[in-house]
Amino acid sequence: MTSRAADLLPPVRPRRAFQLSGLPVGALLAPLLLLGLWQLLCLSGVFPPQVLVPPSGVARTLEEMALSGELQRHLGDSMRRLLLGFAIGAAAGMAFGVTIALSRLAEAALSPLFLTLWQVPVIAFVPMMVMFLGIDEPFKLAVVAIAAFFPMALATFDGIRGVPKSWFEVAKVYRLSLFQLIRRILLPATVPAVLTGLRVSLTRAWVVLVAAELLAADSGLGQMMEMGRQLFQIDVVLAGVIVTGLVGFLLDRGARWVESHATRWRAA
Amino acid sequence: MTGWLTRFPVRVAIGLVAPALLIVLWQWQTSEHIVTFAPPAAVGTALLDLIRSGDLARDTLATLKRAFTGLAIGVPLGVAVGIAMGIWKPIDRLVGPLLHALRQVPMIGWLPLMGLWFGMGATTELAVVGMSSFFPSMLNSHAGVAQVEKRYIEVGGIFRFSVAQRIRYILLPGAMPLVLTGITQALAFAWIATIGTELLTGANAGLGVAMQLAQVQQRLDIMLVIIGVTAALGFTINQLFRQLRQSLLRWQPSV
Amino acid sequence: MSAHPHAREDKPPQSVQHGALSVRDLDKSFQIGGRPHKVLDGINLDVRPGEFVSIVGASGCGKSTLLRLIVGLDTDYSGELRLDGERIATTSLDRGIIFQDHRLFPWMTLEQNVELALLNTDTPKDRRAKIVADHIALVNLTGFEKAYPHQLSGGMAQRAAIARALVTEPRLLLLDEPLGALDALTRVHVQNELQRIWMAQRSTMVMVTHDVEEALYLGDRVIVMSPNPGRIRRIVDVDLPHPRDRRSPLLHRLKDEILAELTSGADADAADNLVHLPSREPR
Repeated sequence: MTSRAADLLPPVRPRRAFQLSGLPVGALLAPLLLLGLWQLLCLSGVFPPQVLVPPSGVARTLEEMALSGELQRHLGDSMRRLLLGFAIGAAAGMAFGVTIALSRLAEAALSPLFLTLWQVPVIAFVPMMVMFLGIDEPFKLAVVAIAAFFPMALATFDGIRGVPKSWFEVAKVYRLSLFQLIRRILLPATVPAVLTGLRVSLTRAWVVLVAAELLAADSGLGQMMEMGRQLFQIDVVLAGVIVTGLVGFLLDRGARWVESHATRWRAA
Repeated sequence: MTGWLTRFPVRVAIGLVAPALLIVLWQWQTSEHIVTFAPPAAVGTALLDLIRSGDLARDTLATLKRAFTGLAIGVPLGVAVGIAMGIWKPIDRLVGPLLHALRQVPMIGWLPLMGLWFGMGATTELAVVGMSSFFPSMLNSHAGVAQVEKRYIEVGGIFRFSVAQRIRYILLPGAMPLVLTGITQALAFAWIATIGTELLTGANAGLGVAMQLAQVQQRLDIMLVIIGVTAALGFTINQLFRQLRQSLLRWQPSV
Repeated sequence: MSAHPHAREDKPPQSVQHGALSVRDLDKSFQIGGRPHKVLDGINLDVRPGEFVSIVGASGCGKSTLLRLIVGLDTDYSGELRLDGERIATTSLDRGIIFQDHRLFPWMTLEQNVELALLNTDTPKDRRAKIVADHIALVNLTGFEKAYPHQLSGGMAQRAAIARALVTEPRLLLLDEPLGALDALTRVHVQNELQRIWMAQRSTMVMVTHDVEEALYLGDRVIVMSPNPGRIRRIVDVDLPHPRDRRSPLLHRLKDEILAELTSGADADAADNLVHLPSREPR
């Protein structure tokens, strides 16, 4: 009896129906529809070009920026910061999560401070970090790392603590060694939670990075948009919005793909 | 073996070690003049000064007003759209693609565009805060309606419920847990977006503005006070809503 | 008369006149993997007003499907289903159903759940509270009106579901393994309750179960069904007055007969279904 309301009322389950050689057409359809609507709006002349540039105009801008290498520079800088900062933050978060999950002493000593700091929106740390680190590369890496650290630490902690006690008993019944216990039970049982943590961390890190680049940077997608705003180049701003959205979308989809393929043993 | 760890006073004492070490480190670096930051004790003085001058109250109120105005627009709209999308597939087909495409852009990423359209003022702030509360409300409400079990809808069929009765007695209450989860998320997102927009738009008052100012003036003491207030307010709002959620969902076995 | 908690004036006290179910040449198929798969084949059955009919059979014999067709949740069938001569096309307040899972709405109290069934009846608003209270009393749940379903035990929730199904005074009540999820002791208790309620209410009841003893204890007749496709194999008359004594020799004899009937087909395949344990094979 797991059938849902969706079968009787209009079905609203996540769109999986249209799949073309593994590529979800529904996901492509959405942006395409939006583009069509947007182009029509501009052609109809409702908005003057100072307010809304048609997609064709944005495409031209993107092409010019790609040809001059400017787009690649901004995108490359953003991605480098994201991946490096994320790698640092996620690794630290995972290590921290494992520590407080395995040691009751570490949990008692560190979790109150951790949970208190977790209440603070990462963005509220931005001005303080500018104070300490200036506005150069270390600042941006630190912001991304912090954004990734907290969800990762929490997911790892929950993952390890969430392994059912009965599974340890099963291991005991079959007399598994400690190594076997870790390899056969703890690791596979924790992987789903950790992967979810990685995905959440990655998307959070991206959001925070864009904000940090808007605030203080000499390159990157955020700075590209902010410069566009200051110079009243609506096409550049829109190009930035689109590329930013696309990167966020691809990061999320990629992480979800990894997640679903690495945890296939779970009930769908 | 670790039984002594579970005793409350012991836990509190151990939990205080790490913050205490941080403060000692900070005090030490102040006295060594590694960087010219105010000593820990200055935070208390700064807090008192900010309260006395009324700056803290002004900034806090400005931020709260901004956040809740945005929420008042984004949440009802998000819940209504999400539920409508969950009930009527044509609506989902019509606005779903648009919303899912817009959702991909990080909320703060809209700021430059909104700034160009509306200027870096109140309208832009409201738009960004409203959007950040709209999306979690919409997505969760949609999912909430979608996951109402078919077997409950069948009961509605047995008792000849009309569409309106089906919505009122089955779909809405069945979706309520996720709708409230969406609002919880919306509260957190709106709070972050409010601080973020204040930092970026340089509004005339607000906690984000105060942070920005403290950064320019290199006042770590003020900065820490503001961060503390931001965190405490966010925490309080979340807790209050949790209470409300629990009383609304008392029909659930365990919330 | 205490038999009926709230006999309506416009209804003759002998409501037994209503509730004649007739099933004629009923066929039902599902699409499985793109191919039609027959689950019910040529079902013919007449249920008299006020009768209690039990249906037993192995899982997959289509007995639950039959109930879903009669109640009107599924209208895709061939053949004829009539209640008091009227063709069944959709759900109706004249036909109630109790599922194996109680399906009380978790967000409503017991009282609200029962009252909800009256939403689309012409029962005057001022009488509803009384009717609801009477039916809660009928299933012995007075005192639990304000409880949420998760606060009730399995047996209590199932009794609440019975109250909700009866509150509209359906001419025909269908019971789809209503006690299937209960433990053995609670089951016996709710069976007794069910018998008492049916004797008080005297509406027609059709119950699907996989428990032969339960089917015999409650049913005036027991329909034995065979699977693949679902067919009526035999109809057993249980010629005993209610309330019944579980120790009655007739019930025990009939139980042995029906069980033999239900398992006879399976015995032939039993040898093939034996699991061979490789390590235990004689060398």
